[in-house]
Amino acid sequence: MKNNIKNIIVSAVLAVFLFGLSVFTWVKAPDDYSESERRALASFPELSVETILSGKFMTSFEDYTLDQFPLRDLFRRIKALTEFNIFNKKDNNDLYIADGYVSKLEYPLSEDMLTNSADKFSYLYETYMADKGMNVYFSVVPDKNYFLAEENGYLSMDYEALVSFMKEKTSYMEYIDIFDLLSVEDYYRTDTHWKQESIVDVAQRLAQKMGVEISGEYTENTVDSPFYGVYYGQSALPLEPDTLKYLTNDTLLNCIVTSYNTGIAVEKDMYDMEAATGRDPYEMFLCGSDALLTIENPEAATDKELIIFRDSFGSSLTPLLCEGYAKIYVVDIRYIQSAMLGNFIDFNNQDVLFIYSTLLLNSSAAFK
Amino acid sequence: MLFSSIPFLYYFLPIVILLYTVAPKKLKNTVLLLSSLFFYGWGEPKYVFLMLGTIFIGYVLGLLTEKHRGTFLAKLWVTLSAVVSLGMLGYFKYADFFIENFNAVTSLSVPLLKIALPIGISFYTFQLLSYTIDVYRGDVPAQKNFITLAAYVSLFPQLIAGPIVRYSDVEKQLIERKHSFEYAAAGIRRFIIGLSKKVLIANALGEVCDIFRASDDKSVLFYWLYAICFTLHIYFDFSGYSDMAIGLGKLFGFDFMENFRHPFVSKSITEFWRRWHISLGSWFRDYVYIPLGGNRVSKIKGFRNIFVVWMLTGFWHGAAWNFIVWGLYFAVLLIIEKLWLKKYIEKSKLFSHIYVMLLIVISFVIFNASDMSQAFADIAGMFGAGSLPFYSDEWLYYLRSFAVIIVIAIIGSTELPVKAMAALKKNSKIEKCINVIEPVALVVLLVLITAYLVDGSFNPFLYFRF
Repeated sequence: MKNNIKNIIVSAVLAVFLFGLSVFTWVKAPDDYSESERRALASFPELSVETILSGKFMTSFEDYTLDQFPLRDLFRRIKALTEFNIFNKKDNNDLYIADGYVSKLEYPLSEDMLTNSADKFSYLYETYMADKGMNVYFSVVPDKNYFLAEENGYLSMDYEALVSFMKEKTSYMEYIDIFDLLSVEDYYRTDTHWKQESIVDVAQRLAQKMGVEISGEYTENTVDSPFYGVYYGQSALPLEPDTLKYLTNDTLLNCIVTSYNTGIAVEKDMYDMEAATGRDPYEMFLCGSDALLTIENPEAATDKELIIFRDSFGSSLTPLLCEGYAKIYVVDIRYIQSAMLGNFIDFNNQDVLFIYSTLLLNSSAAFK
Repeated sequence: MLFSSIPFLYYFLPIVILLYTVAPKKLKNTVLLLSSLFFYGWGEPKYVFLMLGTIFIGYVLGLLTEKHRGTFLAKLWVTLSAVVSLGMLGYFKYADFFIENFNAVTSLSVPLLKIALPIGISFYTFQLLSYTIDVYRGDVPAQKNFITLAAYVSLFPQLIAGPIVRYSDVEKQLIERKHSFEYAAAGIRRFIIGLSKKVLIANALGEVCDIFRASDDKSVLFYWLYAICFTLHIYFDFSGYSDMAIGLGKLFGFDFMENFRHPFVSKSITEFWRRWHISLGSWFRDYVYIPLGGNRVSKIKGFRNIFVVWMLTGFWHGAAWNFIVWGLYFAVLLIIEKLWLKKYIEKSKLFSHIYVMLLIVISFVIFNASDMSQAFADIAGMFGAGSLPFYSDEWLYYLRSFAVIIVIAIIGSTELPVKAMAALKKNSKIEKCINVIEPVALVVLLVLITAYLVDGSFNPFLYFRF
């Protein structure tokens, strides 16, 4: 009898859970976008004889059920917490927490990817700069793993080897080392990027090496809303948000930013306050991922121009270099074909800075 | 459709349970058949008809065999059944293997057929074959109702990865089966335990194997970590699936045979094969080994029988030389044990465990290799051949990261948890606590499983390729 009651309870409890969650799954309205994961969610797949016979419907339906599962973020959090706290895993989906910072394993060093990066830079140099006597500089931004991984027992790529490899392959450029100016505190806890307010010294080092001066005097402004970086959603862990700050001064306020993303010149803000409270607040810096921007500084005491080839780390750095130049071209070759650059930029006697994070150099398949 | 998937757990299964529960008794098998066809069609829409056709042929041949039992015709019908079943298996699973080897020997270039392997074909053809043979032997009457026979062969809990359920074992249950809270609770418990073994443990161990394969930082200890993790992985993957199949069977009133009995506690290879994939082992014993004469023949013929059975067992697992070698490897070990080793290994428990586990781990390295050259390379790596470092950063990192799961897997693969639970239940107060905790623990496990599935990860069942 006792056993029978136990069996009834086991059956009833599990039935309530299974059927309850099933009904929730069926009746829940689908979402278009996941704020935490920063991606579009799968929608209900096309249902036809063809998609069924090919098996495409079934595969897509599985993706749909995963993406649209009720309380998806909660379940992802439960999984992350189980991985770390019960199974004592070092990382969850390659994401780990060390010293209060979330980071994603970047390992191993990919010589193929570094070669691809170096080849792309060489192509740009040979095509647009080689015979023009331009001053070309190169700098590497270490990602957070440089400071966190090895000392906390995580797999860490050989950063020295990375820099040596790139320096050797791009010997036509003058390398500017900024590693010594940075520490993990200069990066957001929940995001990949560095903090603009922490890299004024980096900007000054670069400016000095390129032969221009910047004052380094700024007003620090704080975005009101909390900043949940890209790793916040990916890690699915209960983390405190970061604070997003940006630097301004008179020069920056008077600069004119023009985007050529669509082929047509569109004036934009140096700091996009709408983006600062949007899905990816870091995109407030120079409107995020634009293929080509120019920043004109009407107050410049020089007519020097700079062309920056950069990734997203360059978005928060570039404004700090404005004081030293009359015009800066900001190029992201992930979004524009390198071969087309000549149509938009008259390569002449500008300074040129290639500044890329170790993350992108080691994963450069997106370079065009 | 995978058991360890959201569509199965939260769409398919609740609907099937509901339909099965409300269906009148005479329609329950129809509900199971239609559900099973939908389940199979979800992964293999084109091959549903192939399976139905095979079942129909088996159904007709079963009736004909019974009708002409005792005559030459019965032999003809059962032979035809074997030809059809094995022919299907040969065509879909082995044709390209034979063509490749034929080309290699003759230097010809006969084009490969490149046919996709229908999921579960190795399981359902063996079930059907055993049915017609049993009818021929007079062990069971032929099934007159096509729906009942089709429901048996296509029964979704065991359709695509076993255990190989004999018709004779479920013949009565196909007509009259028990539905009770006792069965439901036992089924739920077994299903969730199996699902946990698969999703929480096997998948994680599989991740280590994938990481190892992709790594450029291999070392001797990394090879061993891989070999141990794969051995545990295949056990938790396959036994987890069998648990789920047995649990689902209970939900629908069936008693399927046990397929695993803690094989890693074995003290000899002979014992290991009494505990590992029992349904396959007993199938080959009853339908190949004993008809060949078993061990009641001369010594030489007895060894021949062992070699035949184990070569076929290996070949059943896959159309590649490494599977054949894997089978023959066990044939050699079983013969050596029979002739010399048995008396020695029985003397020391510790030695026998080390001996069994070492050979089992090596066997699964052969099993999981893409071909024999990789198998040799992996075994060589385990024993430090070449200029491999003894350890590497990646080995250390992944050992640390997966240490808890590996320890859980090792303990979980022994009889310790079952024995501990039995010992605890002897105390009535503790038993009461366990009774209260059990439903909560099962819900917690289901929540964790759901969380792991929703997060999406490595998930395929190894035995789907067989």
